[in-house]
Amino acid sequence: MQNLILGIESSCDDTSAAIIKDDVILSNVIAGQDVHRNFGGVVPELASRAHQQNIIPVIHAAIQKANIGKNQLSAVACTQGPGLLGSLLVGTSFAKAFSLGLNIPLIDVDHLQAHILSHFIRNADRTNPVPTFPFLCLTVSGGHTQFVLIRDYFDMEVIGQTIDDAAGEAFDKSAKIMGLPYPGGPVIDKLAKLGDPTRFTFSKPNIPGLDFSFSGLKTSILYFLRDELKANPDFIENNKNDLCASIQATIVDMLISKLAMALEVTKGLHPRGNLPDVAIAGGVSANSGLRKALEDARDNFGWNIFIPPIQYSTDNAAMIAIAGYFKFLKGDFGSQSATPYARAGNRST
Amino acid sequence: MTGYEKLEIKTFVIIQKLLIIVKTEAELPQIAKELIAEYPAARIFAFYGSLGAGKTTFIKAICNELGVRDIVQSPTFSIINEYKTEAGDSIYHFDFYRIRNITEVFDIGYEDYLYSGCYCFIEWPELIESLLPAGAVPVRISGTNERMIEF
Repeated sequence: MQNLILGIESSCDDTSAAIIKDDVILSNVIAGQDVHRNFGGVVPELASRAHQQNIIPVIHAAIQKANIGKNQLSAVACTQGPGLLGSLLVGTSFAKAFSLGLNIPLIDVDHLQAHILSHFIRNADRTNPVPTFPFLCLTVSGGHTQFVLIRDYFDMEVIGQTIDDAAGEAFDKSAKIMGLPYPGGPVIDKLAKLGDPTRFTFSKPNIPGLDFSFSGLKTSILYFLRDELKANPDFIENNKNDLCASIQATIVDMLISKLAMALEVTKGLHPRGNLPDVAIAGGVSANSGLRKALEDARDNFGWNIFIPPIQYSTDNAAMIAIAGYFKFLKGDFGSQSATPYARAGNRST
Repeated sequence: MTGYEKLEIKTFVIIQKLLIIVKTEAELPQIAKELIAEYPAARIFAFYGSLGAGKTTFIKAICNELGVRDIVQSPTFSIINEYKTEAGDSIYHFDFYRIRNITEVFDIGYEDYLYSGCYCFIEWPELIESLLPAGAVPVRISGTNERMIEF
């Protein structure tokens, strides 16, 4: 029996819809120029009103691209939180109405769990490897930086997280300090490839355990540049590539050294006594410095790493659809009276 | 034609009552207490200061004083974080850094938060100045190694 599930994601900036057939994605549409041109709707911006304008065109496009009819759907899955309440309401209200209208089950999905479960999406011939339980995931994006220990599809535990800024925010704000455009993460990544990562060093915080802090790095860069700019007003312009490379290396090093610590802590959980598999999720997993560092750790230390394809690393509905699929198999359905939640852990049903 | 200079005369009203020099982060809990005590009726506090000034760090100290045990993280990406105090009250922590257009703030439904009667701590309020309710308390953080906090 094949299950077709519609996934809807509207937790923050982008409206997205995807169709999954069991664990294989048939379509994954994110509101953007493409949808705008072909189906109406507006260019995404941060606003629940934009979600309202985008949601029907985006879902229409996802169904059409999957080449199915909406009456074939087995269930509708939707992000319940965490996120911006106004934005979440657009997705959950639509999903509730859709589920009532088609008389199919409604499935609530947690955005952060979905990021992790995106690693179980199979390609069309189902040959790609997936992580083995229990495994460790580093979820790292503009809004989140956390270690999650995954014992089973829905048995997850946050074992460490940032106590202030997210890693993606550290990239973006460092870029801002240097006068690069927002979001600056991808710009830093690009310029870093041309620079010397050992040229400048920035102080790293000493945070105990598996928690992170990125707020101090921002301040450290700020002071460093202020002093250098006094001596040479063109300092940033003259050293842009080396600055980007050094900042990126500092952030990546903070992530990797804590990841090594997290692996040490969770070692022994694996049935064969091996190191647990390591997955990364979230927008910063697209960073080439982080990918390279993980590949080095794989080659040098035997880490078994899982890096998602770019289209599943940033916010998207494919991950909501795969999480919905696993809940569908369990018969874990949502209720029409469920309300979205803004923060992780603030769930109400 | 005789040239003359047109002078615009502006009146400045000093509304800040306190100026505190902060030498270390360890002093923040005490300053947080003073801020809360200074404005017992106020619920909306607008934090002005440049990138890296310490707005989030100070708000973290204030939330802790108010009984928040959740981790207070930067809302730059999420725009609004909601925390619960031990007493079960909500506290809203805003960051309008990413806002490009004031209509986005209307679309978020900012009134539901700012007129909720709950504590609201706002970073980058410059970007929504026209929407700040009367009675919002400005808190200014400046300086680099030593910080000055004015409220």
